[in-house]
Amino acid sequence: MKPQYQHELMTSFMLWFDHELLQKGEAYSNQTGLLYCGDDSRLPSSYKAYASPYKQWVNDSSISGDTNPVIPTSLNGYDRTDNIIFDFENGRIIETGGAFGTDEVLSGTFAVKDFNIYLTNETEEDLILENKLQSNSRYSMNPSGVKPYDQMTPAIFLNCEFMRNEGFSFGGEDKTNNSIKAVILAENEYQLDGALSIFADSARKSFAKIPFSSHPSTEYGDVKNGSYNYVELRNLYLQSNPYFIDDVVVSKFSQKTQSSVPGDIKVGFIDFEVSTLRYPRS
Amino acid sequence: MALDRQIIASLKRQTPKIVRSEVQKLGRAAFQKIKNKMIADFLNHPVTIEIKQGINSQNISETLGGATNLYSFIGFNSSSEDPTKDIENILQQTNFEFAKIMNNSIEFSIYIPNAKDVFDATPMPWAPGRSWAKGIETGISGLGYYLRVERDNSRSGLGIQSPRQVRKKGAKFKNTQYISALLNKYKKEFENLQL
Repeated sequence: MKPQYQHELMTSFMLWFDHELLQKGEAYSNQTGLLYCGDDSRLPSSYKAYASPYKQWVNDSSISGDTNPVIPTSLNGYDRTDNIIFDFENGRIIETGGAFGTDEVLSGTFAVKDFNIYLTNETEEDLILENKLQSNSRYSMNPSGVKPYDQMTPAIFLNCEFMRNEGFSFGGEDKTNNSIKAVILAENEYQLDGALSIFADSARKSFAKIPFSSHPSTEYGDVKNGSYNYVELRNLYLQSNPYFIDDVVVSKFSQKTQSSVPGDIKVGFIDFEVSTLRYPRS
Repeated sequence: MALDRQIIASLKRQTPKIVRSEVQKLGRAAFQKIKNKMIADFLNHPVTIEIKQGINSQNISETLGGATNLYSFIGFNSSSEDPTKDIENILQQTNFEFAKIMNNSIEFSIYIPNAKDVFDATPMPWAPGRSWAKGIETGISGLGYYLRVERDNSRSGLGIQSPRQVRKKGAKFKNTQYISALLNKYKKEFENLQL
């Protein structure tokens, strides 16, 4: 099936959301550490994965702040020309053929997001109550590589739960309304309030519709062509029928409810009303 | 015999004053009829009935596949007042105001609350920024219900199955039309009000 409206909406929204959080909140920290060789059955057998203790790494070079994020392009002198893939999603590198052996001690500096961002179809109750999410081992005394593909907190989960078309103008133009819900699982109140505040201020903004073909990531979590700059990508598409954020409501658990949440995560919610004008029947 | 031009002008001036109270009465009666119908529609909506019946209600709105009821699922406190009362109070604010009779037309204005007014007045018990009335239309999380790990600790007090049991049954909330559809429907009826 080729990508449909909702696919493009959610990927465009996720790119915007990630950029907004990183840029407005400087929600990242530069970390230096070792990378650990680990198994990954999803990779071809000749590939070797070396994971850091953290995921996700910042890959957007348009982000700047008091301290700019370090977006690695090489580790221990090895770069993409040495058959290295940077898997920003999983906080690791993948060596695809004979650059070095498994006994190589790899270390590097990389910017780690304060919040991992995920698209999900899971219900809020499953996300919050199953208590199956691991925490980024930021303060661990015995660091090790994080397992690939596991979702880790602090995290924000994005889900589009509702969509409705309503007539807008003659000729078949509709206004398509979507409700996008974000569940925030933060490690403390400060972090939670920061994320809620950033997105409460995003009402009546717009964001670019970025086609699937222009998505910056490869299937291995690296960036296409070795770099990704959200602002440059957005500027290519901002003029062509953007999405509008009509309304944003942020909320968090009442004190009483928060005390019932398993673990030590702080839970918040952001409800976005997003719309765009389109011709769904053409 | 034709009436004198001055008499016609005088009659024209006086007619509005004479008929004003009668027209106002007719207008208000027509308005009230629609308003009553709107409130009755709200009160007879299965969601309203179910929530009004409280913790022991059946899932008559069929929004939860019968696994539990809306009152429990939303997570209302058993000691709180009827949550639908706030909506009813907002609907009661629908108001008719007579303006004037001019030439061959009658002007009046009607105030109708909008859906946002209702959503602002219906906070979710466990996350006050969210609206349970909006959740009925766009999807509602069962967090308020599931977070009651111990039955005895339930704020609603009694009559609920354990959260694990209900989740196993696959109780998933089914969206249904509620406030927005009601207000849209009656906005049109008020716009077409005839004396």
